[in-house]
Amino acid sequence: MGKIKIIAEREFNERVRKKSFIITTILMPIAFVAIMFVPALMMNISSDEKKEIIVVDQSGMVGERLQDDGQMMFSLSDKGFDTLKEENNEVFGILVIGEDVATNPSNLQLFTYESSTINIESAITEQVRNIIEAEKLKQYNIDDLDRILGEIKTPVSLQVKQLNESGEAKDSSAILNIALAYVFGFLIYMFVFLYGNMVMQGVIEEKSSKVMEVMVSSVKPFQLMMGKILGIAAVAITQFMIWVVFILVVGAGAMSLLGGDELLAAAQASAAMDPAMASMSGTEMSLDKDAAALINTITDPGYLVRILGGFLLYFVGGYLLYAAMFAAVGSAVDNEKDTNNLQLPITIPLILALFVMMSAMQEPNGPLAVWFSMIPFTSPIVMMVRLPYGVPDGFWISVLLLYGTFLAMVWLAGKIYRVGVFMYGKKPTLGELLKWARYKS
Amino acid sequence: MEVFLKVENITKQFAGHTALDDVSLEVPRGCVYGLLGPNGAGKTTLIRIINHITAPDKGRVWFNGHPLSPADVANIGYLPEERGLYKTMKVGEQALYFAQLKGLSKAEATARLKKWFVKFGIEGWWNKKVSELSKGMAQKVQFIVTVLHEPQLLIFDEPFSGFDPINANLLKNEILELRDKGATVIFSTHNMASVEEVCDHITLINKSKNILSGSLDEVRRSHGGNIFEVDFRGNKESLVGALAGLPCGLLDESLIADEDKENRSERALKIHIERDEDVRSVVEVINNTVQLRTFREVIPSMNDIFIQAVAKHSAK
Repeated sequence: MGKIKIIAEREFNERVRKKSFIITTILMPIAFVAIMFVPALMMNISSDEKKEIIVVDQSGMVGERLQDDGQMMFSLSDKGFDTLKEENNEVFGILVIGEDVATNPSNLQLFTYESSTINIESAITEQVRNIIEAEKLKQYNIDDLDRILGEIKTPVSLQVKQLNESGEAKDSSAILNIALAYVFGFLIYMFVFLYGNMVMQGVIEEKSSKVMEVMVSSVKPFQLMMGKILGIAAVAITQFMIWVVFILVVGAGAMSLLGGDELLAAAQASAAMDPAMASMSGTEMSLDKDAAALINTITDPGYLVRILGGFLLYFVGGYLLYAAMFAAVGSAVDNEKDTNNLQLPITIPLILALFVMMSAMQEPNGPLAVWFSMIPFTSPIVMMVRLPYGVPDGFWISVLLLYGTFLAMVWLAGKIYRVGVFMYGKKPTLGELLKWARYKS
Repeated sequence: MEVFLKVENITKQFAGHTALDDVSLEVPRGCVYGLLGPNGAGKTTLIRIINHITAPDKGRVWFNGHPLSPADVANIGYLPEERGLYKTMKVGEQALYFAQLKGLSKAEATARLKKWFVKFGIEGWWNKKVSELSKGMAQKVQFIVTVLHEPQLLIFDEPFSGFDPINANLLKNEILELRDKGATVIFSTHNMASVEEVCDHITLINKSKNILSGSLDEVRRSHGGNIFEVDFRGNKESLVGALAGLPCGLLDESLIADEDKENRSERALKIHIERDEDVRSVVEVINNTVQLRTFREVIPSMNDIFIQAVAKHSAK
């Protein structure tokens, strides 16, 4: 085991000292935030340009009441649809409201010159529905209708408290749970990919530079593989810890600068900035209450320990499992170009896990989430969705399965590795790789 | 002769082909043992088995009197034919790393490395990156790394490739010095001239089989066809006539013709003497006929032996 330590130390020192490590340590959080939040921001700013829609109102009731909003501009037209169509106006589209739209609500057509978007379609539907509903209400001739409607409107705010075993109620912030699940799940995905690839490249480099030939007389290929995997794991953990310390320092700095109230306000502001997150949770909540719940949740030590501890446990397990696979692939080829086909069995479960994670957010304890958080190849990512809601049933079984599979995978990868490192000039298939595993030493 | 390493009936098969077929050999302690053979004959496989990198299907290896075990690897230094260093690592750090993997402590390794670096005149390289070194320079570092832990068995596979004649000579002397200090050396190469220079014993492997083993002298003599070269001064015809009565064949008359220049009275002649014949009687006849200058046995070069033996074995 002493040799594995020497190898791991070299891997660690060589990588941590590199400039690229320092650069990625700084750039990764920025890239990470960009990847996650830029699409959401883009959705908000892309609607800057207003879409012009010509309205042909055959009902004479709806058209004039359509209101322009952030993304659309309506203009009524007396001409018929056929004429307008031939005029080929430079507009987004033509909305045709049928004569009997009140009784036949599907008699509503939108013709567009470019592809339409869900946002526009639902906004139009919403407006037309409100107009027709209001019109219908009016026909009942209720006095004081507007006042009554005003009084009826009630903003409900649901406050969620999660009861623990001792009956203590704690704030539970759905937004925070989802955000953390998203961040940590994605982080595991990225780390496994990046660092797994690093293992693979390291193996390929050793093989193609023939360092391997010199090494094998002093160490077993298995030691070489394990040393590399563990050394690079230490690099990953170091990088993660740097980020954690960084966030804590920045967080503490912000806390002391702002004080409690301002921080709460800041939290509200940041929550308000992210409508994509709010709509994902499917609830519209009072931001005040939610921000309070958020602050209360995140400052709960039990919650933090569960999330961070779970993350580390699954990150390390997931990385080890996949790194062993990456190492086996690296050992089998002469250069990186030849890895594409062999990488498929590694990338497919990883990407699948990411997709399952996304849908499991809706129902963290549904069958999809439960099953995929048990399967070792997907559990590291999918379990991140379930952890914020408490330690799930079967958590330790899942952990055990993950680490057990890792051991089995290392054994298998070691066998492939041992044969692979001496194979040159071949572009092996996956089948051949598995055949190598059966060779005697 | 004390046997240091004994390879006993080793057979190794890979998918579809036999790399070694019932190969046996004995390497005496404290000698340089040449492991020869054409490309793909199975030499590297045999070396890997000795290094405990792969295991044989059949047969055993005895190391210093006991069956080879993984722990013995610490007593072996192996310089593979295909060798490389981490390009971005510094020379000193890298040498230290390999030494530590061989089981040396950091302090011990540093002390020994410094000594070797001075010996090879490369003290200034310690903090250089490997990518800055030429091929020959990198080879020097690898040689040091191979011998640093003072193993009992050294295996060199084409150690001189990439070296200029001066450095190759330096290395050759180092290898001989290590042998004289008691190390046993296995030396694999295609350069037959260097085999003649450094090897005490050889084994020739062809098509997975050991086709020729023995001490270098023995092998060369046994491949000599009892051919002798005679340099003389005097009349050619009278010598040829005198030899005609003896049980020996005249081999190479062209040799005489070539040497028979106007102003030179020295001639040479190659003759073949029947194996059981008394050489002295032939010498006596020659001596009585012409003025004999030299008379010596023609020993075939390792190059010739290699080609002959491989061709003969392959033709079977």
